[in-house]
Amino acid sequence: MSVSQSSVVLKNLTKSFGAVDVIKGVDLEIAPGEFCVFVGPSGCGKSTLLRLISGLEEATSGTIEIAGRDVTHAEPSERGIAMVFQSYALYPHLTVRENIGFGLSLAKRPKAEIAARVEAAAAVLQLGPYLDRKPKALSGGQRQRVAIGRAMVRDPNVFLLDEPLSNLDAALRAQMRIELTDLHKKLGATMIYVTHDQVEAMTMADKIVVLNAGQIEQVGSPMELYNAPVSPFVAGFIGSPKMNLVPNVMGCATYGIRPEHLDLSTSAGQWQGTIRHVERLGAEVILYLQTEAMGELVLRLPGQSAPPPGSIAYATPQPGRAFQF
Amino acid sequence: MTRRQRNSGLIAMAVAFVIFILPFAFTFLMAVKTKKEAALMLFSWPTEWHFWDNFTEVIQARNYMLLLAYFNSTVITVAAVSGLIVMGAMVGYVLQRRPSGWNKVIYAGVLMGLIVPPAVVPTIWVLQGLGLFKSLTGMVLIQIAYGLAFSVLLYRSFIATIPRDLDEAAIIDGAKPWAIFFKVILPLLKPVTVTLITVQSIAIFNDFTNPLYYLPGKENVTVQLTLFNFQSQFQSQFNLLFMNILLVTIPPLIVFVFFNRQIVAGMTAGAVKG
Repeated sequence: MSVSQSSVVLKNLTKSFGAVDVIKGVDLEIAPGEFCVFVGPSGCGKSTLLRLISGLEEATSGTIEIAGRDVTHAEPSERGIAMVFQSYALYPHLTVRENIGFGLSLAKRPKAEIAARVEAAAAVLQLGPYLDRKPKALSGGQRQRVAIGRAMVRDPNVFLLDEPLSNLDAALRAQMRIELTDLHKKLGATMIYVTHDQVEAMTMADKIVVLNAGQIEQVGSPMELYNAPVSPFVAGFIGSPKMNLVPNVMGCATYGIRPEHLDLSTSAGQWQGTIRHVERLGAEVILYLQTEAMGELVLRLPGQSAPPPGSIAYATPQPGRAFQF
Repeated sequence: MTRRQRNSGLIAMAVAFVIFILPFAFTFLMAVKTKKEAALMLFSWPTEWHFWDNFTEVIQARNYMLLLAYFNSTVITVAAVSGLIVMGAMVGYVLQRRPSGWNKVIYAGVLMGLIVPPAVVPTIWVLQGLGLFKSLTGMVLIQIAYGLAFSVLLYRSFIATIPRDLDEAAIIDGAKPWAIFFKVILPLLKPVTVTLITVQSIAIFNDFTNPLYYLPGKENVTVQLTLFNFQSQFQSQFNLLFMNILLVTIPPLIVFVFFNRQIVAGMTAGAVKG
């Protein structure tokens, strides 16, 4: 695998559907071997951006380079990419073996080579026992792995993954997150991963690209985005529960403080309020405090004890943790 | 089972018996009678059984015309149904997958094909102009034209249930449009295809009026037209006529018996996500 030269460069990329501008000028560089996550709310253009890179959509203007080659107008199959779809898009009438080898058989590769490469991918993904089954006889996680296997045999410079975990249940999703991260390390290939789930973005990414309304809001490592968001949008998007954002207070347009950076006291503090609601999660408590000065504040407190709803309490921001935009 | 359920079941079976079994029994009994007995047109047990005599006479009538008719009908049916499947699926695929300004026009055209009744004389005129009148090719094209609208609609709505992701996955795998259609889409259309094969092959094989209009000539005879062999203005041989009916009915019946399960499956396929 030609890891050293694989990288993606987007220059002033735009995409319009009729009169609607979906991607409004995106510049981005993705380093070889990087795990890059596109994250943003629905409709922000993250899937469209991925489809532009894959070639399933044609760019309106701008250029796309993959592995040092301008592929803006190249066919998807000639871009050196492979894609894993949200629905997996396995061919229902073909067995797992035929699904994984479909691209190779279209390219008229010798039968022995197809068999060898399918076996190799199946070994990495532990799909060996299922090679002769049809997709409908597989579980969600297994289908997911077949989809990844189909991408792997193409030996791509760049893997494109479009919300690949969103159809799995929570437990399986956590497991597949780890498996995907392991696979990325093992293959060393560049991966571009689209998700609306900030937890996936934070846990898997080397680099996160936060998209909003067709434009890049911020690019950085997960901790950079957490510690130094450039805008209220990024601040609100990264972190769970989301950051408390209060407009037009403390002498700035938007004042932000994360729930985990607020301390609670029943006797004294900066903002007085009434506890509206308490959610006990075992290891932590999420507390909703209705204050006079700041509106509703969300607090995240360690442990299990909290004052009962309806009582008066005070919230105080930890020094140096607040953001002013 | 309550009494009421049992009674309604029995009534349903009796009705089905009268509608489906009785005519067939009548046909069979008539087919084995002598000419005189058959002319009485009674639903009665034959006094003498002439199954084999009548059978050979029908087959041999007018220099083995029935066998030629079987051949012609089979050629027309196979060719027309194949054409209907391939073209219907292709048109349905393009209509469903590639939105363009022309789609509405084409779709309207397809609907017209379903709604507007075909006119016989102009069609003959066109066939004569093309030199296809009185030819099996012409008949095949007519059958395709008459059935295409229905197959296009059926395929189009079924293709709508096949996720577009599959097409895109195939594109990324390097498939050209031709390969996407034949290797990914067409195999997935099997339920509809089986339905269409059954419905259309029975309809085309049993077609009486269209061959009557568009395919005159002794050498072009189709199975339904052989029924004319045994009836005329002054004399009809009802025993042979019914034997002929019996022989003509059997091939579609076999097709139906073998495929009826899939027909129902195809009718409801795509209704519920699998």
